Amino acid sequence: MKLATVPAALLFAAAAAAALLAEHLASVAVLFGLLLALVLEAPVRRKRLYLIGALASGLGVVVVWPFVAVLGEDVLWRGPTVPVLGVIDITREEIAAGTLAGLRLAAVALAFAAYALLLDHDRLLASLGFARRSAFAAVLATRLVPTLERDAAALAEAVRGRGLELDGVRSRAMLVSPLVSGSLERALNLAEAMEARGFGRAGRTRAPRPAWGALDRVAAGSAPLLVVAGVLWL
Amino acid sequence: MALVAVEGVCFTYPGGGRAALEDISLELRRGEVVALLGPSGAGKSTLVRALAGLVPHFHGGSFSGRATVAGYDTREARPADLAGTVATVFQDPEDQIVMASVANEVAFGLENLATLPTEIPARVEEALAAVGAVHLAGRRTAELSGGELQRVCLASALALRPRLLLLDEPTSQLDPEAAEAFLDAVGRLGSAVVLSEQRTGRALALAERVLFVDGGRLLLDAPREEALGWLAANRPAFLPPPDPAGQVLAGHVRVPGTGTWPEGAPAVEIAGVSFAYDRVPVLDDVSLTVDRGEVVVLEGPNGCGKTTLAKIACGLLEPAAGSIRRAGRACYLSQDPGRYLVRERVDEEVALAVGGDLRRARAALAMVGLEWAADRHPRDLSSGERERLGLAAVAVAEPDLLILDEPTRGIDPERKEALAAWLAAYAELGHAVLVATHDRAFPCHRRVSMAAKETVLV
Repeated sequence: MKLATVPAALLFAAAAAAALLAEHLASVAVLFGLLLALVLEAPVRRKRLYLIGALASGLGVVVVWPFVAVLGEDVLWRGPTVPVLGVIDITREEIAAGTLAGLRLAAVALAFAAYALLLDHDRLLASLGFARRSAFAAVLATRLVPTLERDAAALAEAVRGRGLELDGVRSRAMLVSPLVSGSLERALNLAEAMEARGFGRAGRTRAPRPAWGALDRVAAGSAPLLVVAGVLWL
Repeated sequence: MALVAVEGVCFTYPGGGRAALEDISLELRRGEVVALLGPSGAGKSTLVRALAGLVPHFHGGSFSGRATVAGYDTREARPADLAGTVATVFQDPEDQIVMASVANEVAFGLENLATLPTEIPARVEEALAAVGAVHLAGRRTAELSGGELQRVCLASALALRPRLLLLDEPTSQLDPEAAEAFLDAVGRLGSAVVLSEQRTGRALALAERVLFVDGGRLLLDAPREEALGWLAANRPAFLPPPDPAGQVLAGHVRVPGTGTWPEGAPAVEIAGVSFAYDRVPVLDDVSLTVDRGEVVVLEGPNGCGKTTLAKIACGLLEPAAGSIRRAGRACYLSQDPGRYLVRERVDEEVALAVGGDLRRARAALAMVGLEWAADRHPRDLSSGERERLGLAAVAVAEPDLLILDEPTRGIDPERKEALAAWLAAYAELGHAVLVATHDRAFPCHRRVSMAAKETVLV
């Protein structure tokens, strides 16, 4: 990232907020496209999980929405009558609303992915002048996602290495408990290492941070404008 | 006055029946380098934690006796208060990295100790330079190899300029050259150092004094020369290997053919394979054959592709190019197998690969000396014991090709000897064994040395 961490984080948050607030499909699609292009800059292995999560959840909303919403009169397909739900039909308006909702969700997920993949969380943490312990916990939790992904893959590989096949949900469910207990163990070890390095002592200082450049100031100033634009025009 | 004084320390972990430390008394002087040796599960890590104040403050449990470090009584001073005076590098680097970038990671401890902000960048650079890792300063910690992380952990400790540096198997993930460079950096520090190591050769070369712990008791506290005599008489496996190039086993057995396996057919034949992670090539036109009845060691520096080749041999990875022919069942024991245990009981963990056959599982546990732990939870075992459990969980199926990735990591020299003897006997039964390891002294029939993108037969 060419931007400093805080302005970049503000821009990602503003893009997510604007995507939620915008009413026009084209505006949300543009925000989605920009965020997707940013996330694609991350290394392949790290971005894969985030991309799958964001795109699958957005697509899921696009697909399901027309079946559960009752909206519009321009019917494209009329299905059977289902008890409780009534007549299942799909209208042009439902598809448009579903696409908007799906794009919004995917854009928000991509904004989080950009935050997780592209930012220096340490600097973000250092920028906070309050609730540092809570922020620290949030940053460590963010970093847990790729660690969990790596551990899950290694766990599955260790079982396959014994000549066992992991087929279906049931056999994969066997890995959930060791994955959780492994994460707790890692968390305990990390807590021990942090205490041994003086975490929690009074009077903590901060390493000096580079000053913001002109681009950083422009980005930070643009973030609230993007949210306002999301409410008024997009 | 001694820097560290330990008087009659006894400690039992919460819920633990057996004392982890029993009546330990010792003194450490300023600037002294001490090797801490002993079998896995003997209490070395616990003693290191007692000197850092983490025992009893972090772990709880029952503590008696007294330990003072630079005038701090560890019963009263918390570990965070001792930080800076004492710095600790733990066994697993992945579990002690806090920050997302290397420079911030090294600065973390300095910030906690309220170092002047203007001093922090210079101290970070100085510490990274001391371990030859200045080039890593801008890297993300999540992208570093195990060996690189270990150097960053040492730099984080050095940045604090501690009076006492505690190192708990700090070179377990490093290849021999990197381990040597790491310990050279330790030797130049000027701080008092307690170095717990399973690679005893380098630790004994560096140390002025040797402590030997077993069963929670301090059996030896002596200058190096005297300690070498004691080890020769009592625990010879802990002496440096007589042949650092490793013992070459006598010619491997010729295994008669079977209906499905013609005589002379190798257990695995890999020809011209290539592999890349995210378009970064790791293997390029690599070939390897392992015959039934032989133990083959695959060696090479960190990142040369040993693990990738081992996984391809087992069928866990598909090469992008080349061919692989495998006869019979292949099993693979990953690095750090103690992390990847899936059952609630030790015997059930082992029985998983043999359809729940507890009788075979118990026999496999006896083979690795863990029969006493059959009804325990795997995570209640020490790290060395977990490594052995991982071996039992793979070996129980008696695969035709047994592949072990860094199996000596965290294993004490006596267990390593036993493992090597067991593998040789296993191969004599007509199985093939492939061992990927940094351990150049590991006995085998044949060594295959890997460098980046090529193999060189030795």
